Amino acid sequence: MISWFYIPPAQRPLFSVFVSALFVLALCCFCSLLFGAGGLSLQASFQTLLGNGSADTQFTVFHLRANRTLIGLFVGLTLGIAGALMQAVARNPLAEPGLLGVSAGSSLAVAITLVLGASTATLTVGVAQFGALLGCLCVLGVARMQGQQNDPIRLVLAGAALSSLLLAVTSLLLLFDQRAADEIRFWVTGSVAGRDTNTLFSVLPSMLIAIICILYTAKPLASLALGERVAIGLGHKPQRVRAVVIVAVALLVGGATAIAGPVAFIGLVVPFAARALVGPDIRRTLWLCLPLGPIIVISADVVSRLVAQPAEMPLGVLTAIIGAPVLLLIVRSRRMPTL
Amino acid sequence: MINQSLSLPNNEEITTAPNGHRLLSLGRHMTILIEKQAIIRNVWLLILLAIACVATLGIGTMPISPKEVIAVLFGHGNAMSQFIVQDLRLPRLLAALFTGAAFSLAGCLMQTMARNRLATPGIIGIDNAAMAFAVSSVVGMGISLAPSVMALAGAATATALAFGLAGGSGTRGYRFIVAGIGIGAIAGAVTQLLLSQVSIDVANSAYPWTVGSLSARDPMMVSILGIGLVICLVACLLFASQFALMPFSDQVIMGLGANIKYIRIVALILCITLTGLAVAVAGPVGLIALIGPEIARVLARYRGIPLISSALAGALVMILADLFGRTVLSPIELPVGIVTAVIGGPYLIWILVRRTSRTSL
Amino acid sequence: MLLNRLSFKKILLCACITTSFSVFAGEHSVITKYGEVKVNDDVKRIVTLSEDALDSAIALGVKPLGAIATRGGDSVAEYIQKRASGVNMVGTSRQNNLEAIAAQRPDLILASTNLPQDQYNILSKIAPTIVPISPGMVSDNWIKVAKVYAQALNKDEQMNTILSDIKDRENALKDVITAKLPKNERSATLARWMPQGPIVMSSQIFSTDVLAAAGFIINDAGVIKEGRPHSSPLSLENLSKVDSNWLFLATLNTEGKDALEAAKTSPSFSRLNVVKEDKVIAVNGQLWTSAAGPLAAHAILDDIQNIINNKIK
Repeated sequence: MISWFYIPPAQRPLFSVFVSALFVLALCCFCSLLFGAGGLSLQASFQTLLGNGSADTQFTVFHLRANRTLIGLFVGLTLGIAGALMQAVARNPLAEPGLLGVSAGSSLAVAITLVLGASTATLTVGVAQFGALLGCLCVLGVARMQGQQNDPIRLVLAGAALSSLLLAVTSLLLLFDQRAADEIRFWVTGSVAGRDTNTLFSVLPSMLIAIICILYTAKPLASLALGERVAIGLGHKPQRVRAVVIVAVALLVGGATAIAGPVAFIGLVVPFAARALVGPDIRRTLWLCLPLGPIIVISADVVSRLVAQPAEMPLGVLTAIIGAPVLLLIVRSRRMPTL
Repeated sequence: MINQSLSLPNNEEITTAPNGHRLLSLGRHMTILIEKQAIIRNVWLLILLAIACVATLGIGTMPISPKEVIAVLFGHGNAMSQFIVQDLRLPRLLAALFTGAAFSLAGCLMQTMARNRLATPGIIGIDNAAMAFAVSSVVGMGISLAPSVMALAGAATATALAFGLAGGSGTRGYRFIVAGIGIGAIAGAVTQLLLSQVSIDVANSAYPWTVGSLSARDPMMVSILGIGLVICLVACLLFASQFALMPFSDQVIMGLGANIKYIRIVALILCITLTGLAVAVAGPVGLIALIGPEIARVLARYRGIPLISSALAGALVMILADLFGRTVLSPIELPVGIVTAVIGGPYLIWILVRRTSRTSL
Repeated sequence: MLLNRLSFKKILLCACITTSFSVFAGEHSVITKYGEVKVNDDVKRIVTLSEDALDSAIALGVKPLGAIATRGGDSVAEYIQKRASGVNMVGTSRQNNLEAIAAQRPDLILASTNLPQDQYNILSKIAPTIVPISPGMVSDNWIKVAKVYAQALNKDEQMNTILSDIKDRENALKDVITAKLPKNERSATLARWMPQGPIVMSSQIFSTDVLAAAGFIINDAGVIKEGRPHSSPLSLENLSKVDSNWLFLATLNTEGKDALEAAKTSPSFSRLNVVKEDKVIAVNGQLWTSAAGPLAAHAILDDIQNIINNKIK
């Protein structure tokens, strides 16, 4: 295992890296079931896992913690993959749904529904996905504007401007509705706790569509990484590939945002780590994003439970604190402008 | 717009001005080229600004006629209108004037430096950090400093961090910008964390600092901003000829014998000072830094770096936005940050989606 | 109880002195957060910049010219709407509109305890501005604040009568409740439901004060930091801490039942004993978590009376 570090990332055996990442993920899930903000001791949790718990401890471990682990799994999965796709299509290692205004679009849509009278507890998924698509379309406009130019900062600038705009509209709406403002105050930081697992089922159909999109675009995306002309030469249609990817990203990010609220920087950190492990080929990166996303979200969630007992620290704050240094690492690495 | 010609002491003295310019000699080695169009443009902007000022002093919940406004300004008029104008509207007008000009000038500098029309000082996290610090003061995290002082400290901290993390100014300032984005994101998250930890009453009193507002601002900070603005404006004029080189490629600038690193650092320092002071007065009103310079560039037909026009246009937009915000839904006031965002938003989207080569300066 | 009586008498005495003194002076002074403020004895035009000031003023029979909107609404709180009809809105709980306040030409402004200094500086130029010194998060702090407003309006005695009426009514309800419910069935928690967990309100805010005075034993689950009116959203794992005999669930929207239904879809909520026994009471957040003052106290006591009639056999 140690010997991997001597092999260049692009040549490491994907299968064994993937399997060991899965192993780490299993470990994270196990920890997630063991630790909590409640009065349940580590030992009691462990006993419950072995099957000797009371009804209350079983509820805590197998319902509360198992649910949020499941949701963490889902959120990590979707955001990680969405980030990888977005970076591949924009050919820009800084393209992250949160930085580019996709999450902000989602937040705006959620704010609108709150103002219209829904309560966060009864929030529907479709709204957030629609908002994400809206944000994505704006980014698509930006990507079109970008054209052939290969300037990573420009896209981020555009995304930041877009985000600030969407956030301003959100706060305008909230100005007129204090009840919504009060509810969204807790929603905007993002969390995987207390979300209904039933919402997972309601996002499943859209996730299936997203998976089909990804399977369809993986190969063309890899050739797009070699340049537009190469891709056309290989018989792909770059415009169509981009459009399909944007739809997939909107579905993924919208689904994740609907369930957990905006969780920043996952889409940046995960593909970065994946590339560092197995090299820049999108087909390899995507595979590794599958376990890496949940690993990061679930471990951040475990930390968030432990640092502010008996309450919990918002997950979004933790991921921002993890994510910002990674942003810097990316910029400091030499490969940045080319991906 | 004043363009200093590069002082080239060894060459022949320039004796005739290019078309549409006027030559102003200051001493033997220094001549200033003044673009006639720029003067006309700025005079027009000044006139509009003056009209907007009188209008904003007169319009409100209690309307006061322009005649009365001018009477009050000269110390006459009845007590009520004196109070309304002198204690309520005038301080607010000054705050709008100064912050608008400062944000817009800083935006113009930043965009020139980054060679990108979408760059704002907010992008390097100054806004968010100032907001986080001000909010921490309002929600009482054991800090007894006034929010405006904390906002200033926040702006300084963000800049220092961005500089430190970027490790010098890096290649073309990219690293600096990205470091700022990261700092801004963390500061934003911290603000959300703070607001979710306190009661809604306290969160409400921190609200103006999260969106940008001009109501009842600290008069002390406003006057500091006024002084800072004047100093920065003078500095901008002194360096105008150097800044005018920035749209060219690095090679060209170096070929002309200018020190590009030095110019960037001067621009950055001015930009940060202006933004920091303005944020300390009004909170984050970031979009002015996009709208003001854009208007100025349109007026200047994309020639040169319209620094003065940017400042004037920014002040004008800010005053009108605040006037709009405080009258349109009266008695509820819309914070100026939200008004600028909503006015500037569609325009911004237009810039984003439009397919032109003008996305770079 | 004895202590209460004593201080009550003292205040009455002080009130008598100030009133008798002011007959000659024409104005009296009030100690506020920003120093001593002189107020005319016979104010007519007042503006209230907090919900408790509005409540106190109307309870004392002085209808303000201007007031601010309640949290989560664009007008005054529902419970006081009838009595406050025709009052002009001069801002929201987030931002006062200084010009709209000045336009009312008030001769007295009653502001909330946390009015910032910047605003005070301007407001005090419009009219004498009363910013009561915040008593902090202690029981019955709303009474101290209400008394300051009454003092500013020069109606200390009326306020004392009103407050003792409330005390009497509280005691009457307390007698009923203690008679009907044994001590181990009187614990109550006031909370707001958020999807990631409940927010527990302190035992020292206005509505829990009234609840306690009416005989309930407030359980704040020990999760509230010193001096805060409510907790952060509790982890769902700690939900059993709010499992008192009674759970008052506050919402800011008018359809409190919706929020209750939403909460019930959460399995960790419906596991609570208090939910199984149907002792969850949806209450109006505008009244229970935002308002304060004598009229609000009566409105809350009305709610409690309803519970006694419908839920307690």
